[in-house]
Amino acid sequence: MDFSFSSDQQLLKNSARGFLDEHVKPATVRLLWDDPRGESDTLWKEIAQLGWLGLSLPEAHGGSGLGMVETALLLEEMGRAAYPGPYWPTVLAATAIELAGAEAQKKRWLPAVATGDARATIAFLDTELDWRPEAAQTRAEKTGKGWTLAGRKRFVPWAHVADVLLVPAQTPDGLTLFLVDPRAAGLALEPVPVMDLATRLVDVTLDRAPVAADALLGGPGQAGPLLAALLRRGAVGAAAEMLGAARRCLDMAVGYAKVREQFGQPIGSFQAIRHKCAEMLLEAENSHSAVYYAAWALDAKAEDAELAASVAKAYVGDAARKVCGEAIQVHGGIGFTWEYDLHLYFKRAKALESMYGDGDYHREAILRRVAA
Amino acid sequence: MDLNPTAEDRAFRTEVRRWLERNVPTSDAKTLDERKAWHRKLYEAGYVGMLWPKEYGGWGRTPMQQAIVQDEMARLGAPPPINGLGIGFIGPTIIVHGTDWQKQRYLKKMLTAEEIWCQLYSEPNAGSDLASLKTRAEDQGDHFLVNGQKIWTSSGPIADWGILLARTDGKAAKHKGISCVLLHMRQPGVEVRPLRQITGSSLFSEVFMTNARAEKRDLIGNLNQGWEIAQTTLGWERGANSLGRVTRYAVAFNQLVRATKELRRGGKPLLEDAAVRARLGKAYAELEVQRYAALRVLSALQNSDSPGAASSITKLSYTEFEKRYFELALEILGPYGQLVSAREEFEDIDTSSGEPGTWATAFLWSRAGTIYSGSSEIQKNIIGERVLGLPKEVRADRLKA
Repeated sequence: MDFSFSSDQQLLKNSARGFLDEHVKPATVRLLWDDPRGESDTLWKEIAQLGWLGLSLPEAHGGSGLGMVETALLLEEMGRAAYPGPYWPTVLAATAIELAGAEAQKKRWLPAVATGDARATIAFLDTELDWRPEAAQTRAEKTGKGWTLAGRKRFVPWAHVADVLLVPAQTPDGLTLFLVDPRAAGLALEPVPVMDLATRLVDVTLDRAPVAADALLGGPGQAGPLLAALLRRGAVGAAAEMLGAARRCLDMAVGYAKVREQFGQPIGSFQAIRHKCAEMLLEAENSHSAVYYAAWALDAKAEDAELAASVAKAYVGDAARKVCGEAIQVHGGIGFTWEYDLHLYFKRAKALESMYGDGDYHREAILRRVAA
Repeated sequence: MDLNPTAEDRAFRTEVRRWLERNVPTSDAKTLDERKAWHRKLYEAGYVGMLWPKEYGGWGRTPMQQAIVQDEMARLGAPPPINGLGIGFIGPTIIVHGTDWQKQRYLKKMLTAEEIWCQLYSEPNAGSDLASLKTRAEDQGDHFLVNGQKIWTSSGPIADWGILLARTDGKAAKHKGISCVLLHMRQPGVEVRPLRQITGSSLFSEVFMTNARAEKRDLIGNLNQGWEIAQTTLGWERGANSLGRVTRYAVAFNQLVRATKELRRGGKPLLEDAAVRARLGKAYAELEVQRYAALRVLSALQNSDSPGAASSITKLSYTEFEKRYFELALEILGPYGQLVSAREEFEDIDTSSGEPGTWATAFLWSRAGTIYSGSSEIQKNIIGERVLGLPKEVRADRLKA
């Protein structure tokens, strides 16, 4: 039993920290706020070259075949940098294609994702904002040549830069997953204005959008368990990113408490501030345990992997919100300003809290498992 | 990262489970003699003193293996061994700082619970500020003359020996004039008065020392080295204990769920109430995180990184969780949560105190954890200063020193 990172994992974490410190500074994040795409193609190509995009994809399709623990390490560092871009939606969508795709679909998309030539995303939510996969409202109807999709997908991360959308829809056979070209006829994309300017969410309206017969990902009616698995994986990744945001806020709060003086003393010498920082560290450490336990459990296919994913998302969502918020409190007025960088991480944590199943969804999922 | 137990640990767990299933007493051990007998049986099976080196009568096992034993005992609701302070803290102190004579004389009888030990640290005016203690030990040539009062002494009434912190130099700075010495409790100068706790039982006590005698050969370490000794040996077993605690919480969770199926509101079981479900789900998430954190501490102990000040985070985390957890349980159970004798649907639960009890007892006991062994506030000071490196606070006693 070993809960510590291997030397390779530690090396990956360190190199990610080094790269992001240099290439994704707070100033970089701020520059992209006004960019219509909200991300940088240069940065995307660089992280592809570092092997991050193919990290968890199979070697046969241009990836490195590593696991969720390594992916979580990267995502933690990305959260720490408030990285702007479609990394996690793309990797998660690629995982879906790897798990359920036909050989031709894998060949078309996986190497392109690994080389940074394709972006992808999954449209989990419909208008009722119900995270249960079976609650999807979008409908697919069979036509002579293929299918038409009708419905409205809400809050789809980074759909406006994606080369392919994964769209769950109800068919007479049950829930089915479709690969959809976001630029195809019948699709309208509308960005949603949200408070984290470095997280882009898009509403996608499908007005009897035609989709080819070979655009099914997996068999008809087979998408339910796959989507549930993707949601859990997505939740663990989001938890890792929230952990990173919380760590950054904790570091900033502790650093500030050491140098900011009031009443002739550094404020960190006052118990009111020191105890707050200790509680923040407790939440960050518990979040670390939750994230990496869940990531390991996915990799190891442990029997409690599904439970652990929900535990991580529910716990870290609460913990990261608390840690980032308390960091603002420790800073006082300066922490509430637009110029100071704390809100980058505070908003990122909050944005992820409601994605891939919010706290209520995962708490209910936990209870269904343990109180049958 | 690999959180799978090793084949060796898996086999050990099976062995422990089999042994416990055969040997756990069916009726509660009530008398001290019965509890000692159960303790001795556990010891002889190799399940007490597991982390102690073999040369002192221990079993030289790993923290993980000790955690497995505690975990399996919690699962079966087995009564705990006694002499926990002796085996967890005092014995290790003697092993690290004691003389050969002290080791020969005291360790084996501590392990077998032939002699019960208590810790004479806190005083009425020296709680969190332990170093301000006033009990004096005066040098009388071959022995010390001890005068003073201790309080919150667990196992006081049944203790044969105590480990005492007393002032041996009244002129030195407060941390530098304290010595650590072993005190025989069965002597005329030592009077133990049980204190009743909010649970109604009396597991701790006051100890009055009036011209009591402590032998020079029982001094631990050097004269006036007591504070340092007390600091270095606190927490030998803290990390390894948390897994068993979490298992006790999990056992209690199952019982709570059972109760929410029995209790009804608005014509349906409480378990179908959305508000109750949300809170139970949140509690279970927290409980699981405590378990992951316990595994992480065990892994650190296994890799022989001493958890050091990080053990303060563990202690703070599970004791604060325990309070929230039993508060929630009593809210959900409503008036039934106050029952002090168990009914069938609210079976006896393990209150982590060694006394069998009810939800009410567990709720009351949960207030203790954030006070003993360094209160939550002291833990947060330690975390702030030693883990986060925040500046020390300006304190009146530091200004004087």
